[in-house]
Amino acid sequence: MDFFCTQSGKSKNMSAEASNPAATPTPCEDTQGDGRWMSQHVRFVSESKDREPDVLFVGDSLVQLMHQFGIWRQLFSPLHCLNFGIGGDATQHVLWRLSNGELDNISPKVVVLWVGTNNHGHTAEQVAGGIMANVQIIHNKLPHAHTLVLGVLPRGRMPNPLRERNTKVNKLVQDALSSLSHASFFNVDPGFVLSDGSISHQDMYDYLHLTAHGYQAVCEPLHAQIKSLLEKPAEN
Amino acid sequence: MCRFQLVVYDLASPGKRFTLYVRGNLLARRLVAPSSTVISRRTLRNSLASNHGLVLFHLSASGRVSCMMSGDELNPAAVPQPVEDLHGDGRWLSQHTRFVQECKDGEPEVLFVGDSMVQLMQQYEVWREIFSPLHALNFGLAGDTTCNVLWRLQNGELENIRPKVVVLWVGTNNHEHTAEQVAGGIVAIAQLLTNRLPKAKIVVLGLLPRGERPNPLREKNAAVNRLLCSWLPRLGQALFLDVSSEFVHSDGAIGSQDMFDYLHLTSTGYRTLAKPLSDLLLQILEETPEERRASLV
Repeated sequence: MDFFCTQSGKSKNMSAEASNPAATPTPCEDTQGDGRWMSQHVRFVSESKDREPDVLFVGDSLVQLMHQFGIWRQLFSPLHCLNFGIGGDATQHVLWRLSNGELDNISPKVVVLWVGTNNHGHTAEQVAGGIMANVQIIHNKLPHAHTLVLGVLPRGRMPNPLRERNTKVNKLVQDALSSLSHASFFNVDPGFVLSDGSISHQDMYDYLHLTAHGYQAVCEPLHAQIKSLLEKPAEN
Repeated sequence: MCRFQLVVYDLASPGKRFTLYVRGNLLARRLVAPSSTVISRRTLRNSLASNHGLVLFHLSASGRVSCMMSGDELNPAAVPQPVEDLHGDGRWLSQHTRFVQECKDGEPEVLFVGDSMVQLMQQYEVWREIFSPLHALNFGLAGDTTCNVLWRLQNGELENIRPKVVVLWVGTNNHEHTAEQVAGGIVAIAQLLTNRLPKAKIVVLGLLPRGERPNPLREKNAAVNRLLCSWLPRLGQALFLDVSSEFVHSDGAIGSQDMFDYLHLTSTGYRTLAKPLSDLLLQILEETPEERRASLV
Protein backbone atom coordinates (compact mmCIF):
# COMPACT_ATOMS: atom_id res chain seq x y z
CA MET A 1 0.00 0.00 0.00
CA ASP A 2 1.20 3.47 -0.78
CA PHE A 3 1.36 6.15 1.82
CA PHE A 4 2.84 9.58 1.64
CA CYS A 5 4.57 10.81 4.74
CA THR A 6 6.59 13.96 4.28
CA GLN A 7 9.27 15.08 6.64
CA SER A 8 8.85 18.42 8.32
CA GLY A 9 12.07 20.22 9.19
CA LYS A 10 14.74 19.17 6.71
CA SER A 11 18.26 19.07 8.12
CA LYS A 12 21.01 20.66 6.09
CA ASN A 13 23.84 18.41 7.20
CA MET A 14 23.35 14.71 6.56
CA SER A 15 26.55 13.48 8.22
CA ALA A 16 26.44 10.97 11.02
CA GLU A 17 27.57 13.54 13.59
CA ALA A 18 25.00 16.20 12.66
CA SER A 19 21.25 15.62 12.78
CA ASN A 20 20.04 12.51 10.99
CA PRO A 21 16.55 12.89 9.46
CA ALA A 22 15.98 9.16 10.01
CA ALA A 23 16.66 9.71 13.72
CA THR A 24 14.66 12.93 14.15
CA PRO A 25 11.18 12.28 15.57
CA THR A 26 8.75 13.34 12.84
CA PRO A 27 4.98 12.82 12.72
CA CYS A 28 3.38 11.93 9.40
CA GLU A 29 1.70 14.86 7.63
CA ASP A 30 -1.95 14.35 6.72
CA THR A 31 -1.52 14.96 2.99
CA GLN A 32 -4.57 12.97 1.94
CA GLY A 33 -7.10 14.63 4.26
CA ASP A 34 -8.56 11.82 6.37
CA GLY A 35 -6.15 11.95 9.32
CA ARG A 36 -5.66 8.19 9.40
CA TRP A 37 -2.09 8.19 10.70
CA MET A 38 -2.98 10.28 13.72
CA SER A 39 -6.15 8.21 14.34
CA GLN A 40 -4.05 5.07 14.51
CA HIS A 41 -1.46 6.71 16.80
CA VAL A 42 -4.20 7.94 19.16
CA ARG A 43 -5.71 4.46 19.22
CA PHE A 44 -2.32 2.98 20.17
CA VAL A 45 -1.84 5.51 22.97
CA SER A 46 -5.27 4.57 24.27
CA GLU A 47 -4.41 0.85 24.08
CA SER A 48 -1.28 1.59 26.13
CA LYS A 49 -3.49 3.00 28.86
CA ASP A 50 -5.91 0.07 28.88
CA ARG A 51 -3.77 -2.99 28.29
CA GLU A 52 -0.87 -4.79 29.93
CA PRO A 53 1.05 -6.49 27.15
CA ASP A 54 4.05 -8.74 27.76
CA VAL A 55 5.20 -8.17 24.19
CA LEU A 56 4.92 -5.03 22.06
CA PHE A 57 5.37 -5.11 18.28
CA VAL A 58 6.17 -1.76 16.71
CA GLY A 59 7.05 -0.71 13.16
CA ASP A 60 5.66 -0.38 9.66
CA SER A 61 3.21 -2.31 7.42
CA LEU A 62 5.12 -5.57 7.85
CA VAL A 63 4.20 -5.36 11.55
CA GLN A 64 0.68 -4.04 10.94
CA LEU A 65 -0.30 -6.71 8.41
CA MET A 66 0.99 -9.51 10.67
CA HIS A 67 -1.95 -8.68 12.90
CA GLN A 68 -4.43 -9.35 10.08
CA PHE A 69 -3.43 -12.95 9.46
CA GLY A 70 -4.44 -16.08 11.37
CA ILE A 71 -0.87 -16.56 12.47
CA TRP A 72 -1.19 -13.65 14.91
CA ARG A 73 -4.04 -15.24 16.80
CA GLN A 74 -2.28 -18.60 16.63
CA LEU A 75 1.20 -17.63 17.82
CA PHE A 76 1.17 -14.16 19.37
CA SER A 77 -2.19 -13.50 20.99
CA PRO A 78 -1.48 -16.18 23.62
CA LEU A 79 1.67 -14.25 24.57
CA HIS A 80 -0.33 -11.08 25.35
CA CYS A 81 0.93 -8.94 22.51
CA LEU A 82 0.06 -5.47 21.26
CA ASN A 83 0.62 -4.42 17.65
CA PHE A 84 1.60 -0.80 16.97
CA GLY A 85 2.49 -1.10 13.30
CA ILE A 86 1.50 1.61 10.80
CA GLY A 87 1.85 1.11 7.05
CA GLY A 88 4.32 3.47 5.38
CA ASP A 89 6.17 4.41 8.56
CA ALA A 90 9.89 5.11 8.38
CA THR A 91 12.22 5.15 11.41
CA GLN A 92 11.55 8.83 12.19
CA HIS A 93 7.77 8.26 12.30
CA VAL A 94 8.04 5.32 14.69
CA LEU A 95 10.45 7.40 16.80
CA TRP A 96 7.87 10.19 17.07
CA ARG A 97 5.13 7.76 18.06
CA LEU A 98 7.27 6.13 20.75
CA SER A 99 8.21 9.58 22.07
CA ASN A 100 4.58 10.68 22.20
CA GLY A 101 2.69 8.25 24.34
CA GLU A 102 2.82 4.79 22.79
CA LEU A 103 5.26 3.54 25.43
CA ASP A 104 3.54 5.20 28.37
CA ASN A 105 1.70 3.13 30.98
CA ILE A 106 2.97 -0.25 29.74
CA SER A 107 5.85 -2.47 30.81
CA PRO A 108 6.28 -5.26 28.27
CA LYS A 109 9.16 -7.65 28.76
CA VAL A 110 9.96 -7.71 25.04
CA VAL A 111 9.65 -5.06 22.35
CA VAL A 112 9.86 -6.27 18.75
CA LEU A 113 11.06 -3.46 16.46
CA TRP A 114 10.71 -3.90 12.69
CA VAL A 115 11.24 -0.76 10.60
CA GLY A 116 13.60 0.68 7.99
CA THR A 117 12.33 -0.39 4.58
CA ASN A 118 10.33 2.83 4.00
CA ASN A 119 13.23 5.24 4.63
CA HIS A 120 13.38 6.42 1.02
CA GLY A 121 16.07 8.97 0.29
CA HIS A 122 18.13 8.03 3.35
CA THR A 123 21.51 6.29 3.24
CA ALA A 124 22.08 2.93 4.92
CA GLU A 125 24.01 4.74 7.68
CA GLN A 126 21.11 7.11 8.29
CA VAL A 127 18.57 4.29 8.40
CA ALA A 128 20.73 2.32 10.83
CA GLY A 129 21.04 5.46 12.94
CA GLY A 130 17.27 5.80 12.89
CA ILE A 131 16.77 2.22 14.02
CA MET A 132 19.29 2.69 16.85
CA ALA A 133 17.52 5.89 17.92
CA ASN A 134 14.36 3.82 18.35
CA VAL A 135 16.29 1.20 20.36
CA GLN A 136 17.53 4.04 22.58
CA ILE A 137 14.14 5.56 23.27
CA ILE A 138 12.65 2.17 24.06
CA HIS A 139 15.45 1.61 26.58
CA ASN A 140 14.95 5.07 28.09
CA LYS A 141 11.23 4.54 28.60
CA LEU A 142 11.27 0.82 29.33
CA PRO A 143 14.57 0.11 31.09
CA HIS A 144 13.57 -3.46 31.93
CA ALA A 145 12.49 -4.50 28.43
CA HIS A 146 14.56 -6.39 25.91
CA THR A 147 14.31 -5.03 22.36
CA LEU A 148 14.44 -7.53 19.52
CA VAL A 149 15.38 -5.72 16.32
CA LEU A 150 14.28 -7.64 13.24
CA GLY A 151 16.40 -7.48 10.10
CA VAL A 152 14.94 -5.53 7.18
CA LEU A 153 13.82 -7.99 4.50
CA PRO A 154 14.97 -8.00 0.86
CA ARG A 155 12.45 -6.50 -1.60
CA GLY A 156 11.77 -6.29 -5.32
CA ARG A 157 11.40 -9.26 -7.62
CA MET A 158 15.04 -9.20 -8.77
CA PRO A 159 18.28 -7.74 -7.32
CA ASN A 160 18.11 -3.95 -7.03
CA PRO A 161 19.68 -1.07 -5.04
CA LEU A 162 17.12 -1.29 -2.22
CA ARG A 163 18.16 -4.88 -1.50
CA GLU A 164 21.76 -3.74 -1.18
CA ARG A 165 20.79 -0.87 1.09
CA ASN A 166 18.66 -3.08 3.35
CA THR A 167 21.50 -5.63 3.62
CA LYS A 168 23.90 -2.85 4.61
CA VAL A 169 21.44 -1.48 7.18
CA ASN A 170 21.19 -4.92 8.76
CA LYS A 171 24.96 -5.25 9.00
CA LEU A 172 25.35 -1.82 10.62
CA VAL A 173 22.53 -2.46 13.08
CA GLN A 174 23.79 -5.91 13.97
CA ASP A 175 27.24 -4.43 14.73
CA ALA A 176 25.79 -1.61 16.83
CA LEU A 177 23.62 -4.00 18.84
CA SER A 178 26.38 -6.46 19.59
CA SER A 179 27.67 -4.31 22.45
CA LEU A 180 24.26 -3.88 24.10
CA SER A 181 22.72 -6.21 26.67
CA HIS A 182 19.19 -4.79 26.49
CA ALA A 183 18.73 -5.32 22.77
CA SER A 184 19.63 -7.87 20.10
CA PHE A 185 19.40 -8.38 16.35
CA PHE A 186 17.23 -11.16 14.95
CA ASN A 187 17.35 -12.20 11.30
CA VAL A 188 13.86 -13.31 10.17
CA ASP A 189 14.77 -13.87 6.52
CA PRO A 190 14.38 -17.62 5.96
CA GLY A 191 15.98 -17.28 2.53
CA PHE A 192 13.34 -15.41 0.53
CA VAL A 193 15.87 -14.75 -2.24
CA LEU A 194 16.07 -17.85 -4.43
CA SER A 195 19.17 -19.14 -6.23
CA ASP A 196 18.36 -17.10 -9.36
CA GLY A 197 18.13 -13.93 -7.28
CA SER A 198 14.34 -13.72 -7.49
CA ILE A 199 11.76 -13.38 -4.76
CA SER A 200 8.59 -15.37 -5.28
CA HIS A 201 5.14 -13.78 -5.18
CA GLN A 202 4.10 -16.80 -3.09
CA ASP A 203 6.20 -15.29 -0.29
CA MET A 204 5.72 -11.58 -1.07
CA TYR A 205 2.62 -10.88 -3.16
CA ASP A 206 3.96 -7.51 -4.30
CA TYR A 207 7.66 -8.26 -3.72
CA LEU A 208 7.55 -6.28 -0.45
CA HIS A 209 4.61 -7.40 1.70
CA LEU A 210 4.37 -10.96 2.99
CA THR A 211 1.69 -13.48 2.10
CA ALA A 212 0.28 -15.76 4.79
CA HIS A 213 2.88 -18.29 3.63
CA GLY A 214 5.67 -15.72 3.97
CA TYR A 215 4.51 -14.76 7.46
CA GLN A 216 4.51 -18.42 8.49
CA ALA A 217 8.21 -18.67 7.63
CA VAL A 218 9.02 -15.47 9.52
CA CYS A 219 6.80 -15.88 12.56
CA GLU A 220 7.63 -19.41 13.64
CA PRO A 221 11.30 -18.73 14.49
CA LEU A 222 10.33 -15.27 15.80
CA HIS A 223 7.77 -16.82 18.12
CA ALA A 224 10.38 -19.25 19.46
CA GLN A 225 12.84 -16.42 20.07
CA ILE A 226 10.26 -14.30 21.90
CA LYS A 227 9.21 -17.23 24.06
CA SER A 228 12.80 -17.84 25.11
CA LEU A 229 13.19 -14.14 26.00
CA LEU A 230 9.99 -14.21 28.04
CA GLU A 231 11.20 -17.21 29.97
CA LYS A 232 14.40 -15.45 31.04
CA PRO A 233 14.44 -13.46 34.28
CA ALA A 234 13.76 -9.72 33.80
CA GLU A 235 16.63 -7.43 32.63
CA ASN A 236 18.04 -4.99 35.18
CA MET B 1 -24.31 10.00 -46.53
CA CYS B 2 -24.68 8.18 -43.26
CA ARG B 3 -25.47 10.37 -40.35
CA PHE B 4 -25.35 9.71 -36.65
CA GLN B 5 -27.26 11.31 -33.88
CA LEU B 6 -24.99 12.51 -31.11
CA VAL B 7 -26.47 12.79 -27.67
CA VAL B 8 -24.36 14.69 -25.22
CA TYR B 9 -24.53 14.66 -21.43
CA ASP B 10 -22.68 17.01 -19.15
CA LEU B 11 -21.28 15.07 -16.20
CA ALA B 12 -20.70 17.99 -13.88
CA SER B 13 -24.04 19.75 -14.15
CA PRO B 14 -26.96 18.71 -16.31
CA GLY B 15 -28.60 21.66 -18.02
CA LYS B 16 -25.37 23.60 -18.23
CA ARG B 17 -24.39 25.25 -21.54
CA PHE B 18 -21.12 24.02 -22.98
CA THR B 19 -19.19 23.73 -26.21
CA LEU B 20 -18.17 20.38 -27.61
CA TYR B 21 -14.90 20.07 -29.51
CA VAL B 22 -13.87 17.04 -31.48
CA ARG B 23 -10.20 16.95 -32.39
CA GLY B 24 -9.97 20.70 -32.42
CA ASN B 25 -12.91 21.07 -34.82
CA LEU B 26 -15.93 22.73 -33.44
CA LEU B 27 -18.65 20.11 -33.60
CA ALA B 28 -21.51 21.85 -32.00
CA ARG B 29 -21.90 25.24 -30.53
CA ARG B 30 -23.57 26.18 -27.33
CA LEU B 31 -25.52 23.01 -26.82
CA VAL B 32 -27.76 22.72 -23.84
CA ALA B 33 -27.41 19.23 -22.39
CA PRO B 34 -28.98 16.82 -22.84
CA SER B 35 -29.19 17.66 -26.49
CA SER B 36 -28.51 16.18 -29.86
CA THR B 37 -26.92 17.15 -33.11
CA VAL B 38 -26.34 15.40 -36.39
CA ILE B 39 -22.81 14.59 -37.48
CA SER B 40 -21.28 12.88 -40.51
CA ARG B 41 -19.71 9.41 -40.43
CA ARG B 42 -16.26 10.90 -41.06
CA THR B 43 -16.59 13.25 -38.12
CA LEU B 44 -17.73 10.38 -35.95
CA ARG B 45 -14.78 8.21 -37.04
CA ASN B 46 -12.39 11.05 -36.37
CA SER B 47 -13.87 11.72 -32.98
CA LEU B 48 -13.75 8.05 -31.99
CA ALA B 49 -10.04 7.99 -32.85
CA SER B 50 -9.28 10.83 -30.54
CA ASN B 51 -11.13 11.11 -27.31
CA HIS B 52 -9.57 14.26 -26.06
CA GLY B 53 -12.11 16.25 -24.18
CA LEU B 54 -14.46 13.27 -24.05
CA VAL B 55 -14.53 10.57 -21.47
CA LEU B 56 -16.15 7.99 -23.69
CA PHE B 57 -18.25 7.29 -26.70
CA HIS B 58 -20.79 4.55 -26.87
CA LEU B 59 -22.08 3.49 -30.25
CA SER B 60 -25.33 1.62 -29.90
CA ALA B 61 -26.74 -0.85 -32.40
CA SER B 62 -29.17 1.74 -33.72
CA GLY B 63 -26.29 4.04 -34.62
CA ARG B 64 -26.90 6.41 -31.76
CA VAL B 65 -23.74 7.70 -30.24
CA SER B 66 -23.82 8.91 -26.69
CA CYS B 67 -20.86 10.43 -25.01
CA MET B 68 -20.17 11.55 -21.53
CA MET B 69 -17.78 14.34 -20.86
CA SER B 70 -16.57 16.49 -18.07
CA GLY B 71 -16.92 20.10 -19.13
CA ASP B 72 -14.80 20.73 -22.21
CA GLU B 73 -11.47 19.64 -20.80
CA LEU B 74 -9.49 16.41 -20.96
CA ASN B 75 -10.28 14.25 -17.93
CA PRO B 76 -6.91 13.57 -16.29
CA ALA B 77 -8.40 10.60 -14.42
CA ALA B 78 -9.09 8.94 -17.78
CA VAL B 79 -5.57 9.28 -19.15
CA PRO B 80 -3.70 5.95 -19.06
CA GLN B 81 -0.49 6.21 -17.07
CA PRO B 82 1.98 3.69 -15.69
CA VAL B 83 3.48 4.17 -12.22
CA GLU B 84 7.00 5.59 -12.07
CA ASP B 85 9.58 3.51 -10.22
CA LEU B 86 10.43 6.09 -7.56
CA HIS B 87 11.83 3.70 -4.98
CA GLY B 88 14.16 1.75 -7.26
CA ASP B 89 12.93 -1.84 -6.97
CA GLY B 90 10.57 -1.90 -9.96
CA ARG B 91 7.78 -3.60 -8.07
CA TRP B 92 4.87 -2.05 -9.96
CA LEU B 93 6.12 -3.24 -13.31
CA SER B 94 7.02 -6.67 -11.88
CA GLN B 95 3.44 -7.13 -10.73
CA HIS B 96 2.00 -5.90 -14.05
CA THR B 97 4.29 -8.30 -15.95
CA ARG B 98 3.14 -11.16 -13.76
CA PHE B 99 -0.52 -10.31 -14.46
CA VAL B 100 0.14 -10.26 -18.22
CA GLN B 101 1.73 -13.71 -17.87
CA GLU B 102 -1.28 -14.94 -15.88
CA CYS B 103 -3.48 -13.93 -18.82
CA LYS B 104 -1.52 -16.32 -21.02
CA ASP B 105 -1.83 -19.18 -18.55
CA GLY B 106 -5.29 -18.76 -17.06
CA GLU B 107 -8.89 -18.98 -18.22
CA PRO B 108 -10.72 -16.99 -15.57
CA GLU B 109 -14.49 -16.67 -15.42
CA VAL B 110 -14.14 -13.68 -13.10
CA LEU B 111 -11.49 -10.98 -13.25
CA PHE B 112 -10.92 -8.63 -10.30
CA VAL B 113 -9.04 -5.44 -11.14
CA GLY B 114 -8.21 -2.35 -9.11
CA ASP B 115 -6.09 -1.06 -6.24
CA SER B 116 -5.04 -2.39 -2.81
CA MET B 117 -8.67 -3.03 -1.84
CA VAL B 118 -8.66 -5.70 -4.57
CA GLN B 119 -5.08 -6.88 -4.01
CA LEU B 120 -5.41 -7.40 -0.28
CA MET B 121 -8.58 -9.46 -0.71
CA GLN B 122 -6.50 -12.24 -2.20
CA GLN B 123 -4.35 -12.50 0.93
CA TYR B 124 -7.26 -13.39 3.20
CA GLU B 125 -9.11 -16.70 3.69
CA VAL B 126 -12.24 -15.19 2.13
CA TRP B 127 -10.56 -15.33 -1.31
CA ARG B 128 -9.77 -19.03 -1.07
CA GLU B 129 -13.22 -19.84 0.31
CA ILE B 130 -15.49 -17.70 -1.84
CA PHE B 131 -13.83 -16.21 -4.93
CA SER B 132 -11.15 -18.68 -5.96
CA PRO B 133 -13.77 -21.40 -6.54
CA LEU B 134 -15.39 -19.09 -9.12
CA HIS B 135 -12.16 -19.29 -11.19
CA ALA B 136 -11.16 -15.76 -10.42
CA LEU B 137 -7.97 -13.88 -11.22
CA ASN B 138 -6.85 -10.94 -9.09
CA PHE B 139 -5.13 -8.01 -10.81
CA GLY B 140 -5.23 -5.62 -7.89
CA LEU B 141 -2.23 -3.34 -7.39
CA ALA B 142 -1.82 -1.23 -4.26
CA GLY B 143 -1.71 2.51 -4.79
CA ASP B 144 -3.22 2.43 -8.28
CA THR B 145 -5.39 5.25 -9.55
CA THR B 146 -7.87 5.01 -12.44
CA CYS B 147 -5.04 6.13 -14.75
CA ASN B 148 -2.81 3.25 -13.70
CA VAL B 149 -5.55 0.61 -14.04
CA LEU B 150 -6.44 2.01 -17.47
CA TRP B 151 -2.81 1.69 -18.58
CA ARG B 152 -2.53 -1.88 -17.32
CA LEU B 153 -5.71 -2.98 -19.06
CA GLN B 154 -4.55 -1.41 -22.32
CA ASN B 155 -1.11 -3.01 -22.05
CA GLY B 156 -1.73 -6.72 -21.84
CA GLU B 157 -3.88 -7.48 -18.82
CA LEU B 158 -6.89 -8.27 -21.00
CA GLU B 159 -5.09 -10.35 -23.63
CA ASN B 160 -6.21 -13.94 -24.22
CA ILE B 161 -8.85 -14.01 -21.50
CA ARG B 162 -12.64 -13.97 -21.74
CA PRO B 163 -14.05 -13.64 -18.25
CA LYS B 164 -17.81 -13.55 -17.91
CA VAL B 165 -17.58 -10.90 -15.20
CA VAL B 166 -15.08 -8.19 -14.38
CA VAL B 167 -15.13 -6.70 -10.89
CA LEU B 168 -13.70 -3.17 -10.93
CA TRP B 169 -12.74 -1.42 -7.69
CA VAL B 170 -10.58 1.70 -8.01
CA GLY B 171 -10.75 5.44 -7.33
CA THR B 172 -9.86 5.97 -3.68
CA ASN B 173 -6.23 6.82 -4.56
CA ASN B 174 -7.10 9.54 -7.12
CA HIS B 175 -6.00 12.33 -4.78
CA GLU B 176 -5.29 14.88 -7.51
CA HIS B 177 -8.72 14.58 -9.09
CA THR B 178 -12.22 15.84 -8.35
CA ALA B 179 -15.12 13.48 -7.70
CA GLU B 180 -16.43 14.10 -11.23
CA GLN B 181 -13.07 13.29 -12.74
CA VAL B 182 -12.69 10.13 -10.67
CA ALA B 183 -16.18 8.93 -11.64
CA GLY B 184 -15.37 9.74 -15.27
CA GLY B 185 -12.17 7.71 -15.00
CA ILE B 186 -14.02 4.72 -13.59
CA VAL B 187 -16.64 4.96 -16.35
CA ALA B 188 -13.83 5.15 -18.93
CA ILE B 189 -12.40 1.88 -17.57
CA ALA B 190 -15.86 0.27 -17.63
CA GLN B 191 -16.27 1.41 -21.22
CA LEU B 192 -12.88 -0.04 -22.18
CA LEU B 193 -13.84 -3.35 -20.57
CA THR B 194 -17.14 -3.41 -22.44
CA ASN B 195 -15.39 -2.67 -25.73
CA ARG B 196 -12.84 -5.44 -25.21
CA LEU B 197 -15.20 -7.96 -23.61
CA PRO B 198 -18.61 -7.31 -25.18
CA LYS B 199 -20.21 -10.31 -23.53
CA ALA B 200 -18.95 -9.63 -20.03
CA LYS B 201 -20.82 -7.99 -17.18
CA ILE B 202 -18.89 -5.29 -15.35
CA VAL B 203 -19.49 -5.04 -11.61
CA VAL B 204 -18.25 -1.70 -10.32
CA LEU B 205 -17.80 -1.52 -6.56
CA GLY B 206 -18.54 1.75 -4.80
CA LEU B 207 -15.68 3.51 -3.04
CA LEU B 208 -15.76 2.78 0.66
CA PRO B 209 -15.74 5.54 3.26
CA ARG B 210 -12.35 6.13 4.83
CA GLY B 211 -10.90 7.80 7.89
CA GLU B 212 -12.00 7.15 11.46
CA ARG B 213 -14.43 10.11 11.54
CA PRO B 214 -16.24 12.18 8.89
CA ASN B 215 -13.76 14.02 6.68
CA PRO B 216 -13.53 15.50 3.15
CA LEU B 217 -12.42 12.20 1.57
CA ARG B 218 -15.59 10.51 2.77
CA GLU B 219 -17.64 13.21 1.08
CA LYS B 220 -15.60 12.90 -2.09
CA ASN B 221 -15.93 9.11 -2.27
CA ALA B 222 -19.68 9.39 -1.63
CA ALA B 223 -19.95 11.94 -4.46
CA VAL B 224 -18.10 9.56 -6.78
CA ASN B 225 -20.55 6.82 -5.85
CA ARG B 226 -23.58 9.04 -6.52
CA LEU B 227 -22.24 9.87 -9.98
CA LEU B 228 -21.46 6.22 -10.75
CA CYS B 229 -24.94 5.23 -9.67
CA SER B 230 -26.46 7.54 -12.27
CA TRP B 231 -23.94 7.09 -15.10
CA LEU B 232 -23.22 3.36 -15.10
CA PRO B 233 -26.70 2.19 -16.12
CA ARG B 234 -26.12 3.95 -19.45
CA LEU B 235 -23.42 1.43 -20.28
CA GLY B 236 -25.82 -1.48 -20.29
CA GLN B 237 -23.30 -4.11 -19.22
CA ALA B 238 -22.34 -2.39 -15.99
CA LEU B 239 -23.73 -2.96 -12.51
CA PHE B 240 -22.99 -0.88 -9.43
CA LEU B 241 -22.63 -2.41 -5.96
CA ASP B 242 -22.11 -0.13 -2.96
CA VAL B 243 -21.74 -1.54 0.56
CA SER B 244 -20.49 1.71 2.12
CA SER B 245 -23.31 1.97 4.66
CA GLU B 246 -22.23 -1.28 6.31
CA PHE B 247 -19.07 0.31 7.66
CA VAL B 248 -20.12 3.59 9.25
CA HIS B 249 -21.55 3.43 12.78
CA SER B 250 -24.40 5.64 13.96
CA ASP B 251 -21.92 8.12 15.46
CA GLY B 252 -20.12 8.45 12.12
CA ALA B 253 -17.12 6.39 13.22
CA ILE B 254 -15.48 3.56 11.34
CA GLY B 255 -14.13 0.79 13.57
CA SER B 256 -10.67 -0.74 13.37
CA GLN B 257 -12.36 -4.17 13.51
CA ASP B 258 -13.55 -3.45 9.95
CA MET B 259 -10.68 -1.28 8.64
CA PHE B 260 -7.42 -1.77 10.53
CA ASP B 261 -6.07 1.59 9.34
CA TYR B 262 -9.44 3.22 8.54
CA LEU B 263 -8.92 2.48 4.83
CA HIS B 264 -7.96 -1.17 4.31
CA LEU B 265 -10.34 -3.96 5.30
CA THR B 266 -9.74 -6.58 7.93
CA SER B 267 -10.81 -10.17 7.45
CA THR B 268 -14.14 -9.22 9.07
CA GLY B 269 -14.50 -6.23 6.79
CA TYR B 270 -13.97 -8.34 3.68
CA ARG B 271 -16.61 -10.82 4.79
CA THR B 272 -19.14 -7.98 4.99
CA LEU B 273 -18.36 -7.15 1.36
CA ALA B 274 -17.99 -10.75 0.17
CA LYS B 275 -21.57 -11.82 0.88
CA PRO B 276 -23.45 -9.41 -1.43
CA LEU B 277 -20.65 -9.50 -4.00
CA SER B 278 -20.52 -13.29 -4.25
CA ASP B 279 -24.33 -13.45 -4.39
CA LEU B 280 -24.25 -11.07 -7.35
CA LEU B 281 -21.44 -12.95 -9.10
CA LEU B 282 -23.18 -16.29 -8.68
CA GLN B 283 -26.35 -14.79 -10.09
CA ILE B 284 -24.48 -13.52 -13.15
CA LEU B 285 -22.52 -16.72 -13.65
CA GLU B 286 -25.57 -18.92 -13.33
CA GLU B 287 -27.47 -17.07 -16.02
CA THR B 288 -27.82 -19.19 -19.14
CA PRO B 289 -26.81 -17.58 -22.44
CA GLU B 290 -30.53 -17.12 -23.28
CA GLU B 291 -31.18 -15.35 -19.99
CA ARG B 292 -28.15 -13.15 -20.50
CA ARG B 293 -29.22 -12.15 -24.03
CA ALA B 294 -32.69 -11.34 -22.73
CA SER B 295 -31.32 -9.18 -19.92
CA LEU B 296 -29.21 -7.07 -22.29
CA VAL B 297 -32.04 -5.96 -24.59
